[in-house]
Amino acid sequence: MTGAVGIAAITLDNPLWPTAAALAGGLLLTAAGPPRRIYAAFAILTGLTVFLLEPFVAVQGLTTLWRGPDIPILDTQITTEELAYGAVAGLRIAAAALAAGAFVRLADSDLLLRAVARVAPRSAMIASLTTQMLPALERDAAGVLVAARTRAAAVSRPGTAARLTGPLVGMSLERALAVAEAMEARGYAGPTRSAAPVRGLSARERVLTLLGTAALAIVLVTVATGAGDYRYFDLLGDPWTPAAIAGAAGLAVLAAAFAWVVRWRP
Amino acid sequence: MAALSFEGVSHRYAADGRPALQDVDLAIEHGELVLLVGESGSGKSTLLRAALGLVPRFHGGELHGRVRVGGLDTRRHRPGELARHAGLVFQDPEAQIVSSGVLAEAAFGLENLGVEPAEIRPRALAALRMAGAEHLAGRTTRTLSGGERQRVAIASVLAMGPRVLLLDEPTSQLDPAAADELLRTLLDLRDRHGIAVVVAEHRTERLFDVADRVVAMRAGEIVVDAPPAGARRALSGQPWLLPRAPSTPPPAAAPAHPAGQLTHASKRLGTTQALDDASAAFERGAVTAVTGPNGAGKTTLALALCGLMGLDGGSAAHRGRAGYVAQDPGAYLLHDTAFEEVEYGLANLGVPEPLRRARAEAELERFDLAWAAAEHPRDLSSGERQRLAIASVTAMRPDLVVLDEPTRGVDGRRKQALCGLVRGLAADGAGVVVVSHDAPFVADVATAAVAMADGRIAPRAVPTTEAVHA
Repeated sequence: MTGAVGIAAITLDNPLWPTAAALAGGLLLTAAGPPRRIYAAFAILTGLTVFLLEPFVAVQGLTTLWRGPDIPILDTQITTEELAYGAVAGLRIAAAALAAGAFVRLADSDLLLRAVARVAPRSAMIASLTTQMLPALERDAAGVLVAARTRAAAVSRPGTAARLTGPLVGMSLERALAVAEAMEARGYAGPTRSAAPVRGLSARERVLTLLGTAALAIVLVTVATGAGDYRYFDLLGDPWTPAAIAGAAGLAVLAAAFAWVVRWRP
Repeated sequence: MAALSFEGVSHRYAADGRPALQDVDLAIEHGELVLLVGESGSGKSTLLRAALGLVPRFHGGELHGRVRVGGLDTRRHRPGELARHAGLVFQDPEAQIVSSGVLAEAAFGLENLGVEPAEIRPRALAALRMAGAEHLAGRTTRTLSGGERQRVAIASVLAMGPRVLLLDEPTSQLDPAAADELLRTLLDLRDRHGIAVVVAEHRTERLFDVADRVVAMRAGEIVVDAPPAGARRALSGQPWLLPRAPSTPPPAAAPAHPAGQLTHASKRLGTTQALDDASAAFERGAVTAVTGPNGAGKTTLALALCGLMGLDGGSAAHRGRAGYVAQDPGAYLLHDTAFEEVEYGLANLGVPEPLRRARAEAELERFDLAWAAAEHPRDLSSGERQRLAIASVTAMRPDLVVLDEPTRGVDGRRKQALCGLVRGLAADGAGVVVVSHDAPFVADVATAAVAMADGRIAPRAVPTTEAVHA
C-alpha cells in the first residue's frame, strides 16, 4: 500500500492524485504505532518548504497574481499556475515522506529481509538493520536532547540543535559497532548460510496484501493509460475528470480500509 | 579437554600503551560456572571477547599465546566458526538485537551457521524455552522489557548450541526479580545441560557463593582463581570485589522543605500507563531511592520531576534548579574534552569564565577525573563516563539531583566513592533522588525509599535490603 501511495504521489500529475496520496499517507501513518510525530513533522515541513520555494524559482504561467521587486536569481512574478504547481509538488513530497514513515513503522523487517535476502542477502541485512535501528536512534536523539536541556541548553536555537548532531552521530557509530560485533559473534558473514522457512501470511496480512495490491493496480493502470496526466502551464487544466476522481477516491478509500484493518483488534 | 582454555595469553589494544591481558592461563571445564570479578578496566571484557576471537579480529591489537574453545584455536578460526562452540551475551541487550521478531532473533545465529531450514524453528524455540523466554516467541523485540531482552539475547546465543556461554555484566540493567530469574536460568544451564558458564559481573551478591570458581583480575592479570570460600579469603584485602552484606541504612534526614514534588501525576507512553496518579515528595538534604521492577515508571517519574517530560494529568514541581543524569552516560558526551563537558552547563547558565573554569576543575577533581580533563569523553570507560555525566550536572549546583541507575557499569570501589559523593550532595542541601536496581548501593546511600510498580507509588519508608528486594 505504501508503494502504491508513493508511486501515485511521484508519477501522477493530476492534483487529485497527490492530494489523495497525501491523505492516504497520513491515514497509514496514523494507523502505525508511535513514534510517528517525527515522520509527520518531516513530511509537513518538507512539503511546505517546497510549496513556498517553487513560485520563486519557476518562471511559468500566464495568470499573474503578484509582481515583486527585482531580485537576482529569484523570480518575483508569482502566477496562479506556479502556486498550483508548488502546492502539488509540496503534496507529492509530503505524501512520499508520509508513506515512507508509515512503511518504516508498519513493515515487518524480518519478512522483508527474508524476501530480499533470496536475491541480495547483504543488502537485505543492511536495509533490515536500518529499519530496526531507527527507533533506537530516535531514543538516542531524545537522550541527547534531555542531556542538553538538563544542562540549561536552549535546544530550540538552531545553533545548539546543529551542535547536538555531532554527538548523536558519535552515539550512532558506537551503536553500529556494537551491533556489528554482536552479529560477528553470532556467525554473520560465515562461510555457509541458510534461511528459516518463511511463515505463511495471517488472515489479517492476506487482507492487507489484497488491499495493497488493489491500490497498486489502480495506480499502475492510471500510469499506463495516462489517465492521471494534467497540464499546469501555461494555463491550468481542469482536474475534475471522471477517471481522476474515481482513481484518487479509490486510492483514498483503499488506504482508509488498510489503516482500519491495521488498527482493528478482534 | 577443557571447554575453554587460555595459555599464556597477552593482549594489547592498538591505541593503548598498557596490556589489556597479561600472561593469562585459565581453563574452564564443561558444566562449570565461573564468576569473573575485577575493577573496571581490569581486562574482564577483553578476556570474554578473546574467547570468541573478537579480540583481536574485531578490535585489533596484538595477541600472544593461545586461546582454544571447543578445541579450536581462535587464531585459526573466525568468530563465525567459533560461534558453534561459544556464545557471548553482551552487556547491553539492545545493542545485540538485529531482528524485529523474537523468534527471528533466536533463529538469526542458526541461519548464519547454515543449519538445515527445517531444524531452525524447533531449535530456536528450544533455546527460548531454555532461557525461560518461550512465551515471548510471538512478540516483537521492541516491545520487550530490559529483563525480557536479556533473556532473548541469551536464547539467541544458546540456539547456536554453544558448550560455553559467556556473559558480560548480565544483571547491570535488571531489577532484582529479573536478576534472580537469570541466575536460576544459568544454574539450570550448568546443571541440566552441562554448559560451561562464565559471568563477568560487578554485582556479585547472587553469583559469588553459587559459582564453582571465582576468578579475579587486576590490570589484565588473573590474581585469584579459587572456589568461593578460598576466593573470599584471598580477596579480603579488596572488599569491593566481594558480595556485600546488607548494610544498615543511615538515619532518616531531618524534615526539610521538599526539593521536588509530584502530585497525582499521570503519563501515558504509547500503550503503557507509565505514571498513574503518582504522588510523592523528595526532601532537601536527603537521598531518596526510587525502586521497582523494569518498566515500573521510574525513569518517567525522574524526567517529570525534573521538568523534562510533560504530564497528561497532575503536576510536578521542583525548587530552584533540577539536574537529571540519565541511565546512558553516552548521551551526555556532547563535547571534545571532559573539561568542556563539565563547563558546558555553567556556560549555559552564564557563569563568568574564571569562576566557570574553577568550578569545572573542582568538579572534575571531586569525581576523580582531573586526569581526564583533556581526554575525549568517548575514550573513557563506561564507569568514567558515568562519573563525568554526573559531574557535568552537579557542577551547576542543582537544588534537586536525579540520578537514574548511577551504578550501571561502575565497579565496587568506584561505587563506594560514588556513595560518598551522593551523600555529600545531600549534605550540601540538595535533594537527591536515586533511581536504582542496585540493592546494596540503595541500602548504603538512601535515607528514604519510594517503591513503584505499574506507574503507581507506594508509601515512603526507610529502606531495608528486604524492602528493596521486594
